[in-house]
This record gives sequence, C-alpha cells and structure tokens, in this order.
Amino acid sequence: MAERAPDRLVRLLGIVAFLNRHESVPVAELATTFGVSARQILEDVDTLWVSGTPGYQHSDLIDFDAEAHDRGVVRLTESRGLTRPLRLGTREGVALIAALRALRDLLGSALPIEQAEVVDSTLEALTAAVGDASGAVDVHLATDGRPDVQAAVQSALVSGHRLRLEYVNAADVTSGRDVDPIRLVTGDAHTYLQAWCLRARDERLFRLDRVLSADVLEELVEPHPVPAEPGSEVFRPEASAEQVHITLSARARWVAEQVPVDAVQELPDGDFRISLRVADGTWLRHLIAQVAADVRAVEPVQYALDVAETAERALAAYGALPPA
Amino acid sequence: MPTTIPPTERLLDLVIALVNTPNRMTKAQIRRSVAGYDAAASVEAFERMFERDKDALRELGIPIETVTDAAHGDDVGYRVDLDAYALSPIELTPAQHGVLSLAARFWQDHSLARDASRALTKLSAVTSGPGSEESVAVLAPRARAGGDAFLPLLDAIQHAQAVTFGYRAASTGEERVRTVEPWRLVASRGGWYLVGRDRDRAEARAFRLTRMTSAPAAVGSRRAFGVPADLDPRALIDSHHGGAEQLAVLAVRPERAGALRARAVPPTDGAGPEDLRFAAIAESVGRDLLRVPYRAVTRMAEELSGYGDAALVLGPTELRTAVLQRLGAAAGLSSLAEEPASGASDG
Repeated sequence: MAERAPDRLVRLLGIVAFLNRHESVPVAELATTFGVSARQILEDVDTLWVSGTPGYQHSDLIDFDAEAHDRGVVRLTESRGLTRPLRLGTREGVALIAALRALRDLLGSALPIEQAEVVDSTLEALTAAVGDASGAVDVHLATDGRPDVQAAVQSALVSGHRLRLEYVNAADVTSGRDVDPIRLVTGDAHTYLQAWCLRARDERLFRLDRVLSADVLEELVEPHPVPAEPGSEVFRPEASAEQVHITLSARARWVAEQVPVDAVQELPDGDFRISLRVADGTWLRHLIAQVAADVRAVEPVQYALDVAETAERALAAYGALPPA
Repeated sequence: MPTTIPPTERLLDLVIALVNTPNRMTKAQIRRSVAGYDAAASVEAFERMFERDKDALRELGIPIETVTDAAHGDDVGYRVDLDAYALSPIELTPAQHGVLSLAARFWQDHSLARDASRALTKLSAVTSGPGSEESVAVLAPRARAGGDAFLPLLDAIQHAQAVTFGYRAASTGEERVRTVEPWRLVASRGGWYLVGRDRDRAEARAFRLTRMTSAPAAVGSRRAFGVPADLDPRALIDSHHGGAEQLAVLAVRPERAGALRARAVPPTDGAGPEDLRFAAIAESVGRDLLRVPYRAVTRMAEELSGYGDAALVLGPTELRTAVLQRLGAAAGLSSLAEEPASGASDG
C-alpha cells in the first residue's frame, strides 16, 4: 500500500529537523532512526533537495552536501527555516502514552531495573511534552489470570525462556503444553498469550485466565515462523465448522457482543438471531446452558436437547447432596 | 486531475513558503507562486485543493494562521506560526527511542496505529541516535481499542464536550440514548469503558464501548465541564460489574472445571463451622471444595450453570438459587423438540 502523503510529509520534516541537530549522518543510520529503508531515505532526500521557497532557484531550495551524498552520508547545508521539530498532536501523544503505560503494566515487575527505568523516563518525557491531555486514556490490561501465572509469563517474555503451561480449553479439557511465548495480546474481552505451541507446531493464542499453571523452563525460545500481526481471524473458529443458529431474547444481548458470531439478525420485540460456526460442541452447549431462559430456538435442535439432559443430571446431583 | 507535482511535495512547498513568508501569503499569491498549485485548472479546483491541504497540515499539528490585513479590506492571508509549530524541548536517548518504537506498534487498530506511528516519527527528530529495541528485549504487546466509538470519544474528552450515543443496557437489553460528560477511556476487565457523568441520571457511570449502538456525537459547547480530581475509574467499573467481591463455594468433580480451578483462592486460615460443614458435604459426594471470587451474581450463575453437574454451588444461597433457576430453564429446553422453532423457516 502506498504511503499517505501526510505521513511522508511528517517524516520529511522530521529528517530536516534531525539533520539540523546532527552534523553528518550516514543514510543507514537515518533509515534506522526513522524506521524505513535506506532507499526510502534517499528518495526523501531527493524530494527535499528540490523543495524550497517560491522562485525555486538554487538559493531558494533546501540543500545538501553533494560530495557527502556520494559517500552515503547526509549533510544538510540549507534548511529553509524548517529548523524546529514538529509538535505532537494531542491524539498522537495520547496514543503513545497509553501504549507505554500498557507496556509497563503488562510486563510489570518482570523488567530488569534498568529497562523499567528507561520505560519510566520515556513516559515522563512524553507526558511532559503532551501536557494535560496525557491522562485521557487509561490502559490497565493485566487483569486476567492468576498472579503467579502472570508473573511467570511476564518473566518468560522478558528473559526469552520457554514456558510449560497447564491449560484448560473452552471444552473443559486440561492439557500440558510447552510453548515459546511471543507476546501478550489484548482482545475485546480477554488477554491472551500468543505463543508457539511445540506440540501443535503452530502459533496459538492462550487465554490467560485459562492457564492453570505456568513454569519458566531452562530452555531458551527458538525462532519460529511467526506472522508479524496476530490477525483477528485467530479469535474465530475455522470456516469449515458447523453452522448453528440461535434465537435469543434481548436480555441475552451480551452473547452477540462476546461470542464471535458470523451474523446477527434483529427480530421483533428485541429478539435476535445469531449465526455462528462451531468447531467444538462442548463449548456451544456451555453457551446455550448459560442463557437457557432466553433461548427461543436452536438449529440444530439436538444441541438444546443435550443441554436439557445435562441440566436434568445437574438437578439430580443437587438433589443428592446432603442437606447443608 | 493530472498534477505534475506529487501531493507530498506540494504540501512540503506550502509549509516552506508559509514558514518563510515575511508577513503572510494570500491565496492568489499561493496559487501563483507555490509549486503544485499552478496545476489547478480553475479557481474552484485551486480552492478545493488548498482547503484540503490546509486541513491536512492542521491535522498534522502544523498551525496555519489566518492573517487579515486592514490595508487590504477582507483580503485573507496565511502563515505558519513557528512558535506554535515546535515540539517542547525534549531530547530522547537511543534507549528511550527504542522503547517508543515498541510502544508505537501497540495498537492493532488502524487509526490509533497511525497516530502512534506519526508521533514516533516526530519524536525520532529529537533522538540523539537510532534506538535499539533490545533495550526492552521483548516483542511488543498488542491491543485493540474499542472500535469506532474510540476516536470520537477521545476527541470529546480532550475538548471537555458532552456526547450522546445509543446504549443497550446489559441487564435488560433495553436501548436508550444517553448524554454523558466524558472523562476517561479505560481498558480494564477485558474491555474498553467510557467513564463519565451521565447527565440524565446525574451521576458518574461506566459504559462499555461495545454496547454503544450509535457513534458518539458531541453536543453543546467545549470546555463544558471538569473532571473530578478524586476520580477513581476502576471503582466505577467495578460497580458496573455488580459491586463488591464475594466468594462462591463450589463442590467440583475431580479433574473437571479447570477454568474455575484456575481462579480459585486457597481457603482462609482458621476455618469456621460453616467451612467445615461445606468441606464435609463435598467430601461425602467425592468432590473437591473450591472457593472462587465473583462480583455479579448473574454472570457467575450463567457461567456455573454451563458446567452442569461438574460444579455444584454450596453457597452463598443467592448464587445457588440463581444457578438452580437456570438449570430449571435449561431442563425446559427439551420442549424445543416438540414445537416448531420460531424463525426456523428459511423463506
């Protein structure tokens, strides 16, 4: 995708401001600083070189040292007044500050002191630059999961060690897995550990509040082919799974929000019908049982009948309890 | 519309021209002399192009001032105010720059990701050298912000301006328009919340962003309210979830209900007579005794009824009653087999 003009403009202005403060800078160093390729930096320099004040004669233009340029070094000789670094927009500052706070929160006490200090000092400098608005967004993500699990996960992430997890899935099946942790991901409803599962030989998301125990192993994590972005599709069951429709009354609205549904159809009187794909029947039966009083219809109906039978068994088990 | 000068270069030349102009530049001067604008086919095309560019620059934080000149009547001119332009004087170390590079990749949402990455580019200009991400040796965590409502709410918070939005209450499913003075956006308990003052109820409330049924729209004037100094957003969100924490006492079949076991807390020291009685009941039916914290009875009962006979509630009574009610309702689902399900026809 082509870069948007405003984003490139911000970098062009940033490069001039940076070069105002640094005498001669190798192209490679500029590329690292601004997070783009060396080729992009050369294109940016070419663009700057032909820009300037109206008239656009040689003396009107931004200028660089041509000899240095031939050696792969950028030296600014005329900035045409663009000497100052551009201020942060409030939203820009808030987005970065909230992210930094979350970073500190999620990695918590697991960071070595000198790294934690860098995060804190960065946060301080940025908060000062943004001012009053910096508190508008408050990110507090590390709420899921047992404290000992959180601590182990954080420590493994920071130190790059393999983890042994005891994990219970949505179908209430517990298993042990060795994983190489990648990062923590906060979705709309839960915090997940994104990790390479050695048993599945694939990337998996583990819901933090379903991790029963986590032990940091001696082994260091190995490199794995991991996609850069955890896509939203990882939260959804595969498309080949069975299609199920459930009609619910308005009170069970949260289902449409919290369950990955394919479609929601609004019906009269606030009723609604969700369509979803289910790879795991146990999970679906859990869901139906949770909202039983608000269930109007289930297709296929067998799922509802299974739930009714399970409930009968549970009622019988309650009946068999000795009186309290 | 064919232009010989790409938009980035036109914007750059406009900034340079407006920074360097001794007093101001009128639109006519800009059209005549700034590279890229001469390509506009007509006055109207130029006006559209210039308005768009002005908005784009202001969006980036470049303050374009309007200067009217008394000697020239209504004639409007423009310039860039260098003092307002500049970042407050900070200097980042390479390590700090590395941390910011990580933080900039935190947001998965497109618009926030762009804001953060633009901020990083601006801050790169005041770095003493390229940062090393090794400084925090871990891949950045990621988060998604609360959907389309997030940015309008953020803007309203910054302007201290009230918002209205449709909101569907979780408990009743009822949808109603709310007018709220927005104070903070908070990510907590697995979701995004707006914390603010509900004007109709005249009290502080937390609103879950996913339950908003229409995009928040700003209403009334800016700087219309202040945020309480003693604001405790977490407490508001907790009360949104049903108040104080309680302990469910459960008799759980061995090796079942792992997710509940993960949240269980150890028994408190010095078990009272009630604890001993619960322990005895669980043991008599060959089950483990678990204590699991919860806040909202409704939510907890929904979850527990999903476990069927794997997890039985011994206390508190309120929770046990709620679960038994749900099990009764679930047992009633057997009637769906006899009736033709409503909405089942595909016609």
